[in-house]
Amino acid sequence: MMNRRAQWKGAGMTVIGAVITLLFLFPVYWMVKTSITPITDLFSSPPHFGVLNATFTAYYNNFIHNTDMLRYIGNSFIIAIGTMIMSLLFATPAAYALARLDLKGKSLIMILLLAIQMLPGIMMAMPLFIMFSKVHLVNSYFGLILADMIHALPFAVLVLRPSFMALPKGLEEAAKIDGCNQLTAFTRIILPLAVPGMMTVAVFCFLFGWGDFIFGLTLTTEDSVRPLTLGLYRFIGQYGTEWNNLMAVATLAALPIIIIFIGLQRYVVGGITAGSMKD
Amino acid sequence: MSDQSYSAAAPRTSKRLRNTAWTRYLFVLPVILFLLVFIIFPIVYNLILSFQNVTVYNFKGHHAFAGLASYVKTFKDPVFYTALGNSVLFTVLSLVFQFSIGFALALFFNRSFPGRGLMRSLMLLAWMLPVVITASVFQWMLNGDYGVVNYILQSLGIIHEPHSWLSENGTALLSTIVANIWVGIPFNMIILLSGLQGLPEQLYEAAKLDGAGKMLQFRHITLPLMRPTILILLMLGIINTFKVFDMIFIMTAGGPVNSSNVLPIYAYQLSFTKFQFSQGASVSMIMFAILTVLAVIYLRMSSKEEAA
Repeated sequence: MMNRRAQWKGAGMTVIGAVITLLFLFPVYWMVKTSITPITDLFSSPPHFGVLNATFTAYYNNFIHNTDMLRYIGNSFIIAIGTMIMSLLFATPAAYALARLDLKGKSLIMILLLAIQMLPGIMMAMPLFIMFSKVHLVNSYFGLILADMIHALPFAVLVLRPSFMALPKGLEEAAKIDGCNQLTAFTRIILPLAVPGMMTVAVFCFLFGWGDFIFGLTLTTEDSVRPLTLGLYRFIGQYGTEWNNLMAVATLAALPIIIIFIGLQRYVVGGITAGSMKD
Repeated sequence: MSDQSYSAAAPRTSKRLRNTAWTRYLFVLPVILFLLVFIIFPIVYNLILSFQNVTVYNFKGHHAFAGLASYVKTFKDPVFYTALGNSVLFTVLSLVFQFSIGFALALFFNRSFPGRGLMRSLMLLAWMLPVVITASVFQWMLNGDYGVVNYILQSLGIIHEPHSWLSENGTALLSTIVANIWVGIPFNMIILLSGLQGLPEQLYEAAKLDGAGKMLQFRHITLPLMRPTILILLMLGIINTFKVFDMIFIMTAGGPVNSSNVLPIYAYQLSFTKFQFSQGASVSMIMFAILTVLAVIYLRMSSKEEAA
């Protein structure tokens, strides 16, 4: 009897949970739905909540007929992957050293990294613009990657450090007895064990690079290097009322995020809790 | 530490080990250089800029010291106070709703039922999407002529005529707050959920035996034990919400007539549309000062939590 009741209760909770989730995600549904609705149907009153006469014209218009968006997409990939690789390259050894080696000024570095995450992007954008215009880094992928690393790098170090601390003590000593030096002990023994933590960091650094808007806005003056977020923003200004076209671009910009999200979900949840809560 | 004990045991290799004593600093060197060149230097540069008078006209030449001139100018500008007030309103309202809805959802998803893992991670999608996407979707939903929000609110009898939510003075800021709340709910939920899952089960069982109901359990067990998580989450929320730029910039650009202007957008407008670099820098520095105070409180709290 009790068991039966608990089961019913569980099913009830599932239904309530599903309703909450679907209501909450309505904006995502509305985006995808609008992107496949013919433009004439968008202006019907009352609006259709379901999908009628689905069409992929908006996708054809913006990604096959007109190839401007493809360049923005390519730029976004270069910037996001660049941010990911550079952040991992810089952050991994640092996180290792901060976790396992005896360094002076360790706590100062940790506090700095924590504090940097709180800096507003706009506060960095202006001095970077002036600096970058002196060394020709405005309108360059490299400049945008460096700017995105301001946010990504401290996050990467802070999230990676605990995964190095979790490894058993004495690993390095054992490696040294086997003939490793400090560097090879790190690259051959420690690094392979930290791969899950590095995955989390890779996912988030990609997200930071892909989602960046403020540096794309302030550190570029030409379309040739601008990311997709800027492409979408310019689109809002140009085709203000062609909502199906706009939502098609938005959906495609969301696609890599959705794919990452489905494929690497457990790394995402881990990253959120690690990045905000632990030191 | 381990290096020292090692060298004491084997003095013959001390030369190689002294070598490793400084080589370990090589591991952190790239990060430290990056911090110095791309973060600390720009902040100092910003500070210096705020004490000069740099505009688009003298941008490349030599800049004279101008004292507090740009700060005085900022403090005399009524738009500064509008932006400051809006920033506070945006932050407070966003947080109140993100946090309370996030907490309610965390309590709900903390109970075990089939499918909860999938549901709560699906909701995270809202938090992961680039803000530009969220902002443009909300722009479309809040559209005055064909937006779905007008339709829904009218059918529910909440409003009687359609509104242009983003271009009316009274609703522009509110609209951006709604969009920002939507983004923040899953983040709050996940953090609170991970806190809830760390609470000891036995306390609730003991309370149940003593006849304490759900409300009493929440007030006397959940809330006190969750205090550190809640405090840190709120502080972090204040800091992160205070600096929101993209959402508002894309949805309203601070308009109409500054009714949704906030400090980050005000600083952007000064530096990048009016090219008043020094005044823009002064606004940045004021934001920096406010955030530093908040950050110090946050750091104190998180170290206290760690010690406890």
